Amino acid sequence: MSETESDGRAGPPVPTRAAVRDRLDRVTDPELDRSIVELEYVDAIEIDGDRVTVEFTLPTAWCSPAFAWMMAVDARDEVESLPGVEAARIVLDEHMHAEEINRGVNERLSFAESFPDADGDVAAVRADLDEKARVVRQYDAVEALLEAGFEPATIASLRPVDLERYGSEETDDRSEDVASDGDDTDRLAISVQEGAVVVTVPAAPIDRYLEKARETGVLEESTEPLFRTPDGEPIDPESFDLVHQRGRLAQVNMSSQGGICDGLREARERRFGSETGDPETADD
Amino acid sequence: MYQHDGEDVFVIDAHVHLWDATEENIQHEGGEEFIQCFYDYHTTFTPDDRQWSIEEYRKYGADRMVEDMFGNAAVDMGIFQPTYLTDFYEEGFNTTEQNAELAEEYPERFVLNGSFDPRDGDEGLEYLEELHETYDVPGVKLYTAEWRGDSKGWRLDDEEAFEFLQKCSDLGIENIHAHKGPTIRPLNRDAFDVADVDDAASSFPELNFIVEHVGLPRLDDFCWIAAQENNVYGGLAVAAPFAQNRPGKFSEIMSELLWWLGEDRILFGSDYALWNPDWLVEEVMEAEFLQEHRMEYGVEWDLETKKKVMGENAAELYDIDLEAKRRQFQDDDISERFGLEDHYASGEPAPADD
Repeated sequence: MSETESDGRAGPPVPTRAAVRDRLDRVTDPELDRSIVELEYVDAIEIDGDRVTVEFTLPTAWCSPAFAWMMAVDARDEVESLPGVEAARIVLDEHMHAEEINRGVNERLSFAESFPDADGDVAAVRADLDEKARVVRQYDAVEALLEAGFEPATIASLRPVDLERYGSEETDDRSEDVASDGDDTDRLAISVQEGAVVVTVPAAPIDRYLEKARETGVLEESTEPLFRTPDGEPIDPESFDLVHQRGRLAQVNMSSQGGICDGLREARERRFGSETGDPETADD
Repeated sequence: MYQHDGEDVFVIDAHVHLWDATEENIQHEGGEEFIQCFYDYHTTFTPDDRQWSIEEYRKYGADRMVEDMFGNAAVDMGIFQPTYLTDFYEEGFNTTEQNAELAEEYPERFVLNGSFDPRDGDEGLEYLEELHETYDVPGVKLYTAEWRGDSKGWRLDDEEAFEFLQKCSDLGIENIHAHKGPTIRPLNRDAFDVADVDDAASSFPELNFIVEHVGLPRLDDFCWIAAQENNVYGGLAVAAPFAQNRPGKFSEIMSELLWWLGEDRILFGSDYALWNPDWLVEEVMEAEFLQEHRMEYGVEWDLETKKKVMGENAAELYDIDLEAKRRQFQDDDISERFGLEDHYASGEPAPADD
């Protein structure tokens, strides 16, 4: 089966499966803050001209319908944001509420319309999980800074304006120590002590944090404190350790839940092992 | 008693059930979904050769339960935690009355807890009094996500719930076990959210709040609350079987719990028959923390800590005199049936250690 970038005629190109996967990679399981592609929830991507169908399965049929809903809606919106895609159809398989979710997402209903017996919308639950994801990403970012030798008080006082993308578009003067690092991932330069000292750190954990901090509305101005308590307040250097320990705790919680989900998925795969060829038939 | 490094460890399984999920007892599709969901958890965290069939799992009966718990001396006592689900199951899934069948046969081996549901109003208060009079229940197990008519759950900090907690306090029912576990149902309402425990625990300092499943997947919220409210405890159901197939995670979760709560506020529970203590106790007792976690958190899973988590902490909450129990179990029915007399026949009485 070959994939074509374009059918040669005028108009937007036909999307490739790889491009669709890239978009889906931006969709996270809200409870685990991990990509649904990485978690192997996506079973099939079918492309028919400007229409894309995505099939996915969750670790268990009992996964929270609210979480399943968020992933289905996000997958739909991400795929439809791709040039050349007119409509995305989402098919959630083997879930106790697959019917309501598939109908609701594909007919563009709200959660409340799709689940009349639920109490309202999913926005509050989503905001809650996003906030936890931010706290965990902050933990990773702060760990990277501690490893680079930053003092807690300095970390607590950092602002987005102190960050500079190293070797970014305007300059490309990679210094020797960065190059000799052997790590070719992007790095950020952070200036401290009024710019007297510049330290470089891996960009990935900081960028991941920035993305979530902005998404949750915790970080709006580039001169505000970069890192926060779980409640979104600036960090008092005195309580830095406690805040960081809470980040670690949130990370343990998230990865433990990931362990439960992985286990449930393995158990389900064992059970449906002989029927994996066609998910439709595995449904009772 | 569990023998560990030449020492006896008195094990109280603080979370057990005697349930009935037979098809005849199911009256709502939620009942079937519920037991199937439990079964997924069972198979996920049970060694392959110890897994039950779904038929065995639906209803195992009193006899088998006694054998699983005490047959190989893994457990010395069990605490029943009822789960009513009367909208799903005609006679209820696991009610106080169902559990009483066994608890009354071996009163020395079981603690029988009751339950309440604030949505039952005055009738519910009367029922709580009745449980107190009939069974003298020392605690209650609460299931805040239970469906009842159009309602999909309730909160511990509701005004009505406070009335029931006050009643517990008046009656001397001190141990409040709240199920706060994985989100299964219902829909978007996050009915296992642990935030409600905070207000309840600070409003009723005379009661003990045991958060079952240590709040997973809200371990972070739970630990933060528990760190501030010293009458909040953690029940290890769900976390315990990680020892079997996710030992690194077990080490990490336990390290967090010990760091935030200390070693006096964690209670072992198998959640039988979700998991079977006949293998689970050994997995937890023999588990080891990873070196990196011991370094990071500065906590140990040593004999003293194990003794507390596996039995002494529950004994403290339920006023169980472990030395008296040991003497009593030298010749009770269970010991005779399974030939366990030697397990309890220690020459020297254990020194009181506090």
